[in-house]
Amino acid sequence: MNLFTHNVFRQLVSRAVRTDYLENLTGFAWLILQPLILLAVYAFVFTTIFKARIPDAGAGGFVPYLAVAFWPWTAFSEAVLRSSNTISANAALIGKVAFPSELLPLSVVTATFLMNMAGYLAVLLVLQLMGTPIHWLGLFAAIPVLALLYLFASGMALFISALQVFIRDVSQILPPLMTFWFFTTPILYSMSIMPEKFVLVMKFNPMSWYVDRLRDFLLLGNYDLSLYDLVVPLFTVLLFWASLVFFRRFSPHFEDFL
Amino acid sequence: MQPLVRVQGVSKFYPRVNRPRERLRAFVSLMTGNEILEGAEVLHDISLEVTAGQSFGIIGENGAGKSTLLKVLTGVISPSRGSVEVNARVAALLELGAGFQPEFSGIDNVKMKAALLGMSSSELDSKLDDILAFADIGDYVYEPVKHYSSGMVVRLGFAVVSACDPELLITDEVLAVGDESFQKKCIRWIEAFLERGNTLLMVSHSMYIVQKLCRQALWLHEGKMRDIGDVFPVTQAYLAYHEERSAAEGRQRRSQKGDSGLYRIKDFSLPGKSGDGDLAIAQGGDLEAELVLYSPDGRPPVGLFGVMRADGTPVYGIASDYDDIEAERLDDQHYRFRICFDRLPLLPGSYSIRGHAMDPQGIRLCDTAELRFTVSGESREMGILRLPHRWK
Repeated sequence: MNLFTHNVFRQLVSRAVRTDYLENLTGFAWLILQPLILLAVYAFVFTTIFKARIPDAGAGGFVPYLAVAFWPWTAFSEAVLRSSNTISANAALIGKVAFPSELLPLSVVTATFLMNMAGYLAVLLVLQLMGTPIHWLGLFAAIPVLALLYLFASGMALFISALQVFIRDVSQILPPLMTFWFFTTPILYSMSIMPEKFVLVMKFNPMSWYVDRLRDFLLLGNYDLSLYDLVVPLFTVLLFWASLVFFRRFSPHFEDFL
Repeated sequence: MQPLVRVQGVSKFYPRVNRPRERLRAFVSLMTGNEILEGAEVLHDISLEVTAGQSFGIIGENGAGKSTLLKVLTGVISPSRGSVEVNARVAALLELGAGFQPEFSGIDNVKMKAALLGMSSSELDSKLDDILAFADIGDYVYEPVKHYSSGMVVRLGFAVVSACDPELLITDEVLAVGDESFQKKCIRWIEAFLERGNTLLMVSHSMYIVQKLCRQALWLHEGKMRDIGDVFPVTQAYLAYHEERSAAEGRQRRSQKGDSGLYRIKDFSLPGKSGDGDLAIAQGGDLEAELVLYSPDGRPPVGLFGVMRADGTPVYGIASDYDDIEAERLDDQHYRFRICFDRLPLLPGSYSIRGHAMDPQGIRLCDTAELRFTVSGESREMGILRLPHRWK
């Protein structure tokens, strides 16, 4: 990244942080509140109504188990959704100034992750204060996982935002797809309660690895490694690289389609 | 010398992408690696070399491809065919708005624009005061840009561009919206910029500005290069093209209206003229003109003669009814006026004389013809005409 790109990127990120989070009055509070409320709703539905049991939930029970996976997912899905139409939304800029347009989706992903990770830390602190032992040492293992999640979101954002320029329907299809993805990822439940035949299928969902490993590191203190811990990071890096190639292949033509 | 800008055989097609199906087809053809070579062709086979220190004006009608060419040059869009090479630190100000985001304040947009122009934040900090002083829009810089007038947007945009010290400045028709004093400020800045040996590429519809700032001009016509070279011949050819076109439109309108009720010029001539060129008369010589008018209803029309300088400054005009002159009747429908300006007091230079046909009441001007003539002589007097004078 050269100096020019670096400066533009910094401007774009600070702009995204301000418009999306800080400039509306409730923005920052909402950032913490919205997942908290959703978390409370899910906790009520699953612990009080359905009386869900998670056998390997660890010491804190269901709520911490959910929270540790829920925030990273929120960051991921928000980043992908928000960045999906960044190219069309910035048509005025793209049509008048020459600059690497991949910075647009990347800046939105970066801003979203910055803000949500601040929320994540706050939530971990709250959980600790409320009596759930958080494995703080696991944070050192969790940080690379979160960094990979950021790379995963960036790859998705690059691919989707470029595709959206050519196929407008993407903005409509994406939200239900993300909901589907949420429910097929073991966030509200555990992989261990799934019937055996689904487990293998679910392992093809890279998101399962992310939430599982975050729980392992932060809640359970389980640092065992397997081949799977190589496959998903490798896949993430490959996806990012392929998306970047895809984006750069088509970005010279954005102007024609906007 | 290594050219600053080299454009070779550039064509640009805008694919048809209005309907989802067309978008998809264009996308698929991109996916399979084909360039899109159908749709609206806005540029056709443009080749251009600009060396350091040149100043190029790009002129042409609306829709001739001027802005597209600038976009190709700045790299905002990629050409469908051909290649573009730019070896300079470029600052571009394309269209109004300059890529500003309307919801953000002026100062935020300045920061963004500065970053996009390659300025670091410390560089910007040191230049921010200069930028705000140049833009001179007061506390409006803290307001969102959407509340700005178009002139204010351009002021701010130009101020940032001027601060970033480019080698090559590319501007679209932006100066036109600034007010008189800001336009002057920009023109002064561009002149100083060019004096420092920098390069300019600008689009303008104002031949005055093009002739003032540019030494070369490129005339685009329907996406093709129609003329390129020194600014004066090219701009004059362009203006002549426009005059011809509006004259043709006028003729068309007249012929659509039909002949009835219109007094027209049958013939307009300068009897002293010989050969093909313009009539040349010596300073203090006589100027004779002859105007034959056509009257559809047989009533004698009024004739009007006007003399003006080549740039259009009127010098003198006289109608036949002012002097109670009756037209000389040639036949039922044709009348002739002859006038002689004795000992013409015009100073040496280029002039033109117009003959007009007016209705019999001398109210409506129905037709106009124009001939050029020159006054030759060696006089150091200044102005248009010699005023009778004596020194005391």
